[in-house]
Amino acid sequence: MRGDRAFLMILPAYLLIGAVAIFPILNAFRISLDRRMPVFGISYFVGLDNYRFLIQDPRFWQSFLNTTYFSMLSVSLELTLGLIMALLLHGSFRGRGLLRAVVLIPWAIPTVVSARMWEWILNPDFGLLNYLLQQIGLLSSPLNWLGDRVFAMHALILADVWKTSPFVAIILLAGLQMIPEELYEAARVDGAGGWQIFRRITFPLLLPFILIALLFRTLDAFRIFDLVYVLTGGGPANTTETLSLYAYKLLFQTLQFGYGSAVAVATFLTVLLISAACILLLRRQSHG
Amino acid sequence: MRSLICRVGSGACFIIVLAALAGCTREGTMKDAEGEMKLVFTHFKVPSPEVLSGLIEAFERQNPGVKVVEEVLPASTDQQHQYYATALEGRSAAFDVFALDVIWIQEFARAGWLLDLTPRLGATRLAGFLPGPVEAATYKDQIYAVPWFANAGILYFRKDLLSKYGFAPPRTFTELSQQAMTILEGEEDPNLKGFVWQGKQYEGLICVALEFIHGNGGTVIDGRRSALRDKKAVEALQLMHDLISVTRVSPPLVTSADEEATRHLFGAGRAIFMRNWPYALALYEQEGSKIRGMAGMATLPSFEGYQSAPTLGGWLLGVNRFSTRPDLAWKLVEFLSSQASQKVLAMKLGFPPPRDVLYQDAELKKGNPFIPPLYEAMRLARPRPVTPFYLMISQLLQPEFSAAIMGVKPPEQALEDASRLMEHVLKLEIE
Repeated sequence: MRGDRAFLMILPAYLLIGAVAIFPILNAFRISLDRRMPVFGISYFVGLDNYRFLIQDPRFWQSFLNTTYFSMLSVSLELTLGLIMALLLHGSFRGRGLLRAVVLIPWAIPTVVSARMWEWILNPDFGLLNYLLQQIGLLSSPLNWLGDRVFAMHALILADVWKTSPFVAIILLAGLQMIPEELYEAARVDGAGGWQIFRRITFPLLLPFILIALLFRTLDAFRIFDLVYVLTGGGPANTTETLSLYAYKLLFQTLQFGYGSAVAVATFLTVLLISAACILLLRRQSHG
Repeated sequence: MRSLICRVGSGACFIIVLAALAGCTREGTMKDAEGEMKLVFTHFKVPSPEVLSGLIEAFERQNPGVKVVEEVLPASTDQQHQYYATALEGRSAAFDVFALDVIWIQEFARAGWLLDLTPRLGATRLAGFLPGPVEAATYKDQIYAVPWFANAGILYFRKDLLSKYGFAPPRTFTELSQQAMTILEGEEDPNLKGFVWQGKQYEGLICVALEFIHGNGGTVIDGRRSALRDKKAVEALQLMHDLISVTRVSPPLVTSADEEATRHLFGAGRAIFMRNWPYALALYEQEGSKIRGMAGMATLPSFEGYQSAPTLGGWLLGVNRFSTRPDLAWKLVEFLSSQASQKVLAMKLGFPPPRDVLYQDAELKKGNPFIPPLYEAMRLARPRPVTPFYLMISQLLQPEFSAAIMGVKPPEQALEDASRLMEHVLKLEIE
């Protein structure tokens, strides 16, 4: 009886999730089995044809690799920087509250806005970055950050790291504050050095938080869209085209609903796999 | 992906809400304004909106009892295309008259979303209009839109620098390169660039690349086959690549530059030549501009022995096939695209008119010293491939062209890859 009522109470939540999450996913999968281009009056079932095409589509694989590279590099940098920032912010010093708030500013700015800002910073001719690098003598002539096949991707990573390291820092800071002060005191009494304390106490106890940050950031990074859309549009020569951007171009710019959905479903499955792996890791961690 | 689905979902919701709101306003206005007829005109954001509103008020005075509501869409053509495609796919009657980019007409006409205007235009059809816009407006011999204003790629040059070295505006790319190199050498200014154009991976790159390809006697599509394997196209992309990496007449920054980036650079007095649309001139002539009085306009150069081939841009007015007031909508199209209205738009907003006769207009000529090169550009302007599949084709070509000019792939390879992808799309119609 109690169980029945409990079920009734959570039913609305299930319905809501079903309507806004499960149904769209299933529907996208359903559409991905069609050749569907409403503008041309084309709509018929083709089974797995779109997926067969996808396997051989070099543009899909390139955007897959771009996305993977972007995610791996940006997330590792964000975790490293975020950890350093968290450790610094954890100490007690004057103005700590203010600094903690200030650090969050990049995270608070909407990505499209900060992307526009980076567009100007990275501008080859009027940009701040080139100016500074030339002033300190690191560059002899201005670099074309967003128009270069190697730099463009790294400029995007830089912008992403700038924006999301504070987010990682805040999660890790919360983790640091959960570690009881007595542990540190005991360690110091036993004569442990700073590095030893970090390795034996801080890091292991912080690990669950690091894994949570890793999970959030990887999922977010893998779906990166707005930054790329504003800064490079996927160029030059598709070197920065990510899966979400490719799917967007197929779905919204050229209205190829069938194939676009197939790309979207493939992205979804990849993200699902990554989250499963992260969650597994997290479970193993917390069980021992 | 979740976010993508959310995006798809929220996009859909947004459009549903938009459509619902549009529906509400229509119904609402129909009820509370007995005897007054509403007409909705959707268009992109125009500069100095009071000019267009003035024209619309004049239309309302001529047609008592008619009220025209303007609805402004975001500036990006991609977003406008998305809005129209979604609304019209749902047979929405939320707007009656709308402004169409030249590259959409074929797609929309084929989909049956545009009212066939041929019977209303009568036997004269689009007589007196420039050939490029007319080609863009025609699908299977029927006319689906009326050219509103034209656009074409044009060469901007620094009058002061060219005359200092005794040069006339270049007619060929070779001439342009030589002039640029001489001036760069003579000026010894490390900040001065030679020739800037739009090389970012986006629609603008297609426009520029077509000017090189067409300007070498090449073309993109031949029937259902790609014409890009031809050596004329290969030479064209090779030249674009060489301008950046071999002769260094164009700075590397062009590979990430769009219209505005190049406009700022030229406007700061840091480039000798620029390819852009005509809109930039009015901004250069404004008070406070660093190069006021120094910018000149000329027809774009071409390859030796071929004619200059600026890419055609511009906007047309069409009537929504699902409009409940097609006759009134047509009246508005007729009014806004009339010679008199186009003259107002040209005088006050600098919209280049799509009619021959306006380029002979004494008043217009007096107001704008660049009417002759503009006319030349408009007359020579070539549309982008006139096919309902244009948007798909453009999406396929953008990364390949970008790869070729950056030297990521040799031009032959890039154009071969582009051709294969394009033929995949061109095949569609047969199915």
